[in-house]
Amino acid sequence: MALIVLGVLLLAVVLLVSAYNRLVELRNRYKNAFSQIDVQLKRRYDLVPNLVETAKGYLKHERQTLEAVIVARNQASVAAQRAAATPGDAAAMRDLGGAEAALGGALGRMFALAEAYPDLKSNTTMNQLSEELASTENKVAFARQAYNDAVMAYNTGREIFPVSIIAGATGFVEARSFEIERAVERDVVKVSFA
Amino acid sequence: MDFFEAQERARRRTGWLVVLFSLAVCGTVMAVYAVATVALHLLGLRPLTDLPTQFWYPDLFWRIAASTLILVVGVSIYKTRAVSASADAIALGLGGRLLDPNTVDPHERRLLNVVEEMAIASGVPVPTVHLLPQEPGINAFAVGLDASRSSIAVTDGCLRLLSRDELQGVVAHEFSHLLNGDARINVRLLGLVHGILVIGLIGSAILRSLGRSSGGSRRKGNVGGLSVVIFVGISLYLIGSIGVFFARLIKAAVSRQRELLADAAGAQFTRNPAGLAGALKKIGRFSRGSRILAPRAEEASHFYFSEGMARITALMSTHPPLPERIRILDPQFAGELPGGQLEPVALQEEEIPGVAAAVPVGHRISLRPAAAVASVGALGDQHIAYAQSLLAQVPQRLRDSIREPWVARAVVLALLLDGKAEIRTAQLSALLALGDANLAEEVSRVAGALRTCPMEARLPVLDLALPALRRLSSAQCGDLRAAVDRLIRADSRIGLFEYTLQRVLLRHLAAHFESRRPPERPQIEVREASSLLLSMLAHAGATDPGEAARAFEAARAELSPGRFQLTLLPRDDCGLRALDRALDRLVETAPRLRGEILGACVAAVARDGKVTIAEGEMLRAISDSLGCPMPPLLPGEHVQAMAKPAARTG
Repeated sequence: MALIVLGVLLLAVVLLVSAYNRLVELRNRYKNAFSQIDVQLKRRYDLVPNLVETAKGYLKHERQTLEAVIVARNQASVAAQRAAATPGDAAAMRDLGGAEAALGGALGRMFALAEAYPDLKSNTTMNQLSEELASTENKVAFARQAYNDAVMAYNTGREIFPVSIIAGATGFVEARSFEIERAVERDVVKVSFA
Repeated sequence: MDFFEAQERARRRTGWLVVLFSLAVCGTVMAVYAVATVALHLLGLRPLTDLPTQFWYPDLFWRIAASTLILVVGVSIYKTRAVSASADAIALGLGGRLLDPNTVDPHERRLLNVVEEMAIASGVPVPTVHLLPQEPGINAFAVGLDASRSSIAVTDGCLRLLSRDELQGVVAHEFSHLLNGDARINVRLLGLVHGILVIGLIGSAILRSLGRSSGGSRRKGNVGGLSVVIFVGISLYLIGSIGVFFARLIKAAVSRQRELLADAAGAQFTRNPAGLAGALKKIGRFSRGSRILAPRAEEASHFYFSEGMARITALMSTHPPLPERIRILDPQFAGELPGGQLEPVALQEEEIPGVAAAVPVGHRISLRPAAAVASVGALGDQHIAYAQSLLAQVPQRLRDSIREPWVARAVVLALLLDGKAEIRTAQLSALLALGDANLAEEVSRVAGALRTCPMEARLPVLDLALPALRRLSSAQCGDLRAAVDRLIRADSRIGLFEYTLQRVLLRHLAAHFESRRPPERPQIEVREASSLLLSMLAHAGATDPGEAARAFEAARAELSPGRFQLTLLPRDDCGLRALDRALDRLVETAPRLRGEILGACVAAVARDGKVTIAEGEMLRAISDSLGCPMPPLLPGEHVQAMAKPAARTG
């Protein structure tokens, strides 16, 4: 009898340990997935000042719009740094989503203005930069999809019995996906000069 | 020793390990049983009646044997599966991080380049690369159950303190582990040792729980029972420790021998023993040596490039002594290694090998079956130089961005685009129909960049893309497969080369994203499968039936007599779906047979005295499908030179 109890206990321990390890793996996956987003975001934040610098020469009367882009870029950069330190953290991810949406909106307004300046539209540097920006946007979106998939796998994983018993107690809190809400502005950023 | 022999030996060795391990488990079961009977006697639950049989209680024995077996075997299987499910697990467990593919750190870039070159030169997908940033010592290891799921990790010291030649030597050593199936045995060993370790862990858990509970609630009268529990705890702990001791002895003995083989192979791959010897000498001179500091370092100690921990006796060392390893590579070595600190090597911008080494497009390769088979898993410095020149022909922009999942996905699809304009258009609109305009745009952009790539660089480009593809989520991987499927369907006729390209891709992706292979083995006989594969190749290179028959005859001659009767199937019976099943079946066969079949394939293709680049690349893809990584085929003279037996060592 004692042996059976011992056996059941051992089985329970093995199950718990394997559940724990699985959670660790899922968490590593979404953290790795976030670092992919981070790489692309950093590249984007490096591009934006160059873009503004180039546009400045043409959009002399639109200083406010350009400054708004830079401010939004800086805020997004700070938010991204914080999110990279704690990927999946609800507040950090929400802030990053908001900051990114603001940056997307500011960029969208800048490109919309640029439509009215044919010289700027035909500027080679501007074309190169905006193409680079569009390509980076694609990469961010793709990496974001991978991250959100990984977060979903992790969140589902930690709710399944018997993992759910230990998930909360061992510090596996729910991770948050990375959403950018800017359905309208997104289309504006897509404006192509080509 | 060639690749196939090494594979056979690896298989036999795994068999031996299982035997040794079974003995260890039997010993463990007996010991646990002995502990249990003694404990029951002490508790007075089993009276001492008649002496000769007093220690034999069959019911108790079977119960203990069953539970111990289930525990040990279960934990072993669990651990093996956990490690093999993700090759990254060990590196991450030791505090490693995935190397950023777009890194600007010159040392990291250099490492990525060296690994990529080595992978292209040996014909395997590029492994994922990890860095252990908190490890100042010089060490490295490779993990992987097969070519699609392998990973190489290096310490920070290894990254910064070694010259390029030395780093290349270390990476070549690790590739030899991957190619010889050592990494696979290592994963098994890890699981087996872990299974025995669990007994000891239970013992120490019992002792620890006693220590915690005995503080306040010790009641009188229970002292006898308590001492029995202590006895059981200590005994289990001892049994576990003794078992682990023996398991580690086995592990160390197996490991030491294979390290020497990997050193020899590493020196042979690079044709530069000085590089590897230099790395070992630096470890000897460096005050931190090759020590791994992470708490779980012992677990993976048999994976390392050089001894990872301090050892009390040579018997427990997983690696031969440094001076011995150096002396084998460098006979002039006097055995003195003055201690001291090492400075990180200064790096210039990574040098891109000159295009002078590049081969003109459209050249033909002459090929001999024996030479081609011998080259599997045994690359040489000329392959590395050739890989460098191939990589130099991939546009630099593409080469940089192929390490990103977004671009890698587009590269794969672009490789599947047809040469003919109208089919291409149909394929691109099929992609558009998937609803992702950005994807179709990116694919045509990449296809433009790929146009300047020579034919022989296409398979290497796919190999370059694979590490980034492993970082897709499984949903994204499913989308990619759907897109690949669309592209192939849009093209009503699929060429053999396109087919093999697609097969290589799907094989490696499936191995990574599905934790196990599909269980059902294809319903086809080995004889039938071989007939089909060789008939297909015979028809592919032939313009008339007579030529196909001659090619088939040449292929048949390569198989050892009496193996089995092959029949040339008519051209119409050689469907690609059937070929899929044939290859799935053949990859399961013994290495020796696969070697012969590969030789027969080469003979069938080379019968007409010339091998076009498309045929050569197709051969490599088939070889990959059979689980035999074949280095890129070199322009004529090199292939001939390689056939000389003197050129091969070890």
